[in-house]
Amino acid sequence: MKHIIGQVFRSGKFLVGFVMFMAIVLTVVIYPLFIKDEPLDIVSRGTFLPPGIYVNVYDSIEFSPRYTLILDEAAARRIASKLSHEDRLAMQEWLVAMGVPPNKIDIEDTANLLELWENTFDPTARIPGMTNADRNYYIRLNSALDGLLATEGATVAAVNSETGVLEEKDVIDQTDYVNVGEVPNIRLLPLGTDNFGRDVLTELVKATGVSLTIGFVAGIIATSIGLVFGLLSGYLGGFVDDLIGFLNNLFTVIPPLMLAILIAFSIGQDQRGAYTVAVVIGVTSWPWTSRAVRAQVISLRNRDHVNLSKLSGHSIAYILLTDILPYIASYVVMALILQISQGILTEAGLSILGLGPRTTDVPTLGLMMSWAMIYQAPIMGIWWAYFPVIVVIAVISFSMNLMNTGLDRVFNPALRE
Amino acid sequence: MKLNRFTIVALLLVMLITGTTSPSVAQDTLPRNETLYFNGQQWGSVVGWNPYSNSNNNAMAIAQQDNARVLMFETPYLYNMLDGQVYPLLADGPYTWNDSRTELTFSINPAAHWSDDTPVTAEDVAYTWATHVKYNTPTAAANVDYIADIVATDPQTVVIQAKLNDAGVTVNPLLVQAYVSTNYVVQKAWTQVLEERVGGDATALLADPAEDVVASGPYYKFFADDSKVVLIRDDNYWGQDASMWGKLPAPKYLAHTIFKDNAAGTTALQAGEVDISQQFNSNVQSFWLENGLPISTYLPEAPYGIGASLPTAFFNLNSYGLDNAVVRRAIAIAVDYPTIIANAMTNQSATFDQVPRSLMNPTAGEQALYDHDAVAELQWAGNDIETANAILDEAGIVDSDGDGWRELDGQKLTYIATCPNGWSDWQAAIEVVAAAGKEIGIDITTNFPEWSVYQTVVTKSDAPLPEGYDIFMMWSDGAGPTQPWSRIRKMLSSEFNGMTSNWNGNWGGYSNPAADELIQAIPQETDPAALKEMYTELVRIYLTDIPSFTLMYRPQSFHTVNESVWTNFPFDGDGTNPPVPPLDLMDGWSVAGLYNLVLVNP
Repeated sequence: MKHIIGQVFRSGKFLVGFVMFMAIVLTVVIYPLFIKDEPLDIVSRGTFLPPGIYVNVYDSIEFSPRYTLILDEAAARRIASKLSHEDRLAMQEWLVAMGVPPNKIDIEDTANLLELWENTFDPTARIPGMTNADRNYYIRLNSALDGLLATEGATVAAVNSETGVLEEKDVIDQTDYVNVGEVPNIRLLPLGTDNFGRDVLTELVKATGVSLTIGFVAGIIATSIGLVFGLLSGYLGGFVDDLIGFLNNLFTVIPPLMLAILIAFSIGQDQRGAYTVAVVIGVTSWPWTSRAVRAQVISLRNRDHVNLSKLSGHSIAYILLTDILPYIASYVVMALILQISQGILTEAGLSILGLGPRTTDVPTLGLMMSWAMIYQAPIMGIWWAYFPVIVVIAVISFSMNLMNTGLDRVFNPALRE
Repeated sequence: MKLNRFTIVALLLVMLITGTTSPSVAQDTLPRNETLYFNGQQWGSVVGWNPYSNSNNNAMAIAQQDNARVLMFETPYLYNMLDGQVYPLLADGPYTWNDSRTELTFSINPAAHWSDDTPVTAEDVAYTWATHVKYNTPTAAANVDYIADIVATDPQTVVIQAKLNDAGVTVNPLLVQAYVSTNYVVQKAWTQVLEERVGGDATALLADPAEDVVASGPYYKFFADDSKVVLIRDDNYWGQDASMWGKLPAPKYLAHTIFKDNAAGTTALQAGEVDISQQFNSNVQSFWLENGLPISTYLPEAPYGIGASLPTAFFNLNSYGLDNAVVRRAIAIAVDYPTIIANAMTNQSATFDQVPRSLMNPTAGEQALYDHDAVAELQWAGNDIETANAILDEAGIVDSDGDGWRELDGQKLTYIATCPNGWSDWQAAIEVVAAAGKEIGIDITTNFPEWSVYQTVVTKSDAPLPEGYDIFMMWSDGAGPTQPWSRIRKMLSSEFNGMTSNWNGNWGGYSNPAADELIQAIPQETDPAALKEMYTELVRIYLTDIPSFTLMYRPQSFHTVNESVWTNFPFDGDGTNPPVPPLDLMDGWSVAGLYNLVLVNP
């Protein structure tokens, strides 16, 4: 046994696959120990917040020590964030349309440009050929430009709860900074939030765990059924073989995903928990394991040691377990790995069709994809809602396939180096 | 062998040639700057063009509703949801009631004529109604309790005789006057052709695809298959008469590509292949803020449109504990409505801080109908966990066995909140409702059955709702000539309890004689002050009893436009008078917007 394991780990492919897979499993196990947020908690009001560090504005004004930094580029950067080169060109276009001579406009001279703008801009003006979208853009731009060149600080005021009067509390200078580490409330959202306003990373970790569980349950069910059927049909032959072969053919002609769709639909959404879906996937995807095991058993059943065992009067179960199973065990393990990987993919497939587990109990990779699609994340360019999910699915099935190929190299005599 | 090969090649050639000359290819080449493209209205292919039937699946041509779709067929009047007024279309001048309010009279515009050039007459209006009644169409079924008859007293004058109750008073004047802006006028001559064709058989009449139909509207059917529907302008349209629009609408073609799903429609809108979109586009502002596209909505900022209907969560009043108003109130005030509006609706709804909850939609006309101060302390904006917990504690509904959930008389309060599967914004909203339960110790889980199941269960009002439907979402009426009365009736009236198939409302089984009485009385009332008092009382009853709670405001139609080709779509403050409502330039008075469109690059 030790020797076999040693051999397996000497296979580069297996090792790489194993490391990738374990990295995912460890993340799933360790992440919740440190980040104790509920994966399905709605943290953001507003959907699809982009990835980043969210710093509480109130706290950074009220509760954090303030430092003064004199940075040369600060003002320029501030202006550039509100007034891009395109904005300047658009302003020029407006000014020209309003009759300002083009030679009077220098779009690089911010002060001059803003002054001209302030004197000329009229939100109610209807310029021929200007669309409502353009008009809205100019109104937005105009409000963004308000106070852009101001050098004085901003005043913070609060309503006095007793008198109801607005009272000045603080003045924030343009050179004031806070240290993010000292703000009481910051929230890191490495992958932003999703359509429900949930933290995508936390949800993704949980979903990966659930999907792996679904994969394992489905894989074990499929492999067990396939193994038992394959052993019986291969060893016993005759009527049993015909019967199992018949069943097998039935399941083979209908694509497993199709069958899973039909069963999942007939179960109904209220009954579809994660484990139910796993069972549905398991009972629909065993046929190829069964066929392969049967073929292997047929090649084994007339070997000398099996015949000897038969002559010794051993029971069928004993022969199958001790004389046949060990010879095909390596194959079964490889089949199991593929079944698990297939189970995860099938869950994703079912969920995208809206036939996965109920939405509210637990997240799964497929459900996350499904909701991202429903809220049109791919067309709206919201990559963080779907791309990490795709990556996780891809890494899981890639690592499992690598492990499978690695094992094949070790166990398959035809491939052994 | 050689002959065979030759035959195949010849066959292929024949197929190619016929393929390229088939009409469908000709339609693909509609000139872009003469065509206005839509999305979000038509799903699947058109079944027919029959104005008597409501199963045409023909969203571009036929929708007889509060804001009737008047591109191909026309109503006597047009309703304008922005000012609550009706304006004449086929009619000439305003309609009038007689003194006893039993007869409504209006005349037909002498300029109006059909697409076959014959004049539209009062006889057409009368015959349309007679046909509805004779063949028991859905329109007849909806109006026959309120309208006794429609007669033509001369070729231009129509009199609608209202149905009277035992006391000799009109049963419902509101519904009588709504008829004139809701239902099409169909040509008598064509109707007779249709009747002859179907041999007087009602089922056949409703099933007739009416390919030969005669219409009076500015557009006529041009082409329809499973890929698109196209209407073409009738350049002989009567409305270019100075008494109506004075000109023809700008686009020569109105085209609706039949998209596979919302995502396909959105992609087309982004690409400028759709000019006016009736789809819910989540985070619509990212079209212009992030992608810099020439796309805009009626309002430049959230909520981007005008809310008209009130998607509402109903309590099943037969569920254990939900017959208790304290439990209902606790759940309703604990719900985090700002999150529903921000996340489920991506801010495309006014918040309950902006428009406090009542039975009215956010339009100014409806808001003016009740006394805001009188009910202010009953209104809630949500997220009030503290008060919710306090009123439950006070009512003795506490967690007595320490499992974290409250019990009422020893039985744990546990509910299932539900809405149809795949209705993504509703599902997200229901999730937030369930989350509120956890905050106040009431166990609420969610479940999303398929629509086919959901609708059968919810609309069956002659038996208690089954398990799994404790809190469930349904819609309410939007904006229309009978609103807010009709919406309130559908939210509160007990007349629907016991109906085998209840598509009206009050699905939770609420019953309150005081509310019923007010609902009965409002249509007869003409004094604005009395009306305001009655509406205020209804709002008070609603906010006290809480048989249901509104989760968001939703526009009548989504209205997002891409100005790559056309511009001058209606927007808030566009200076039109009367204002053109954002109803995709096809419903009610919004059709006026078609006459204002201009090309971006003429």
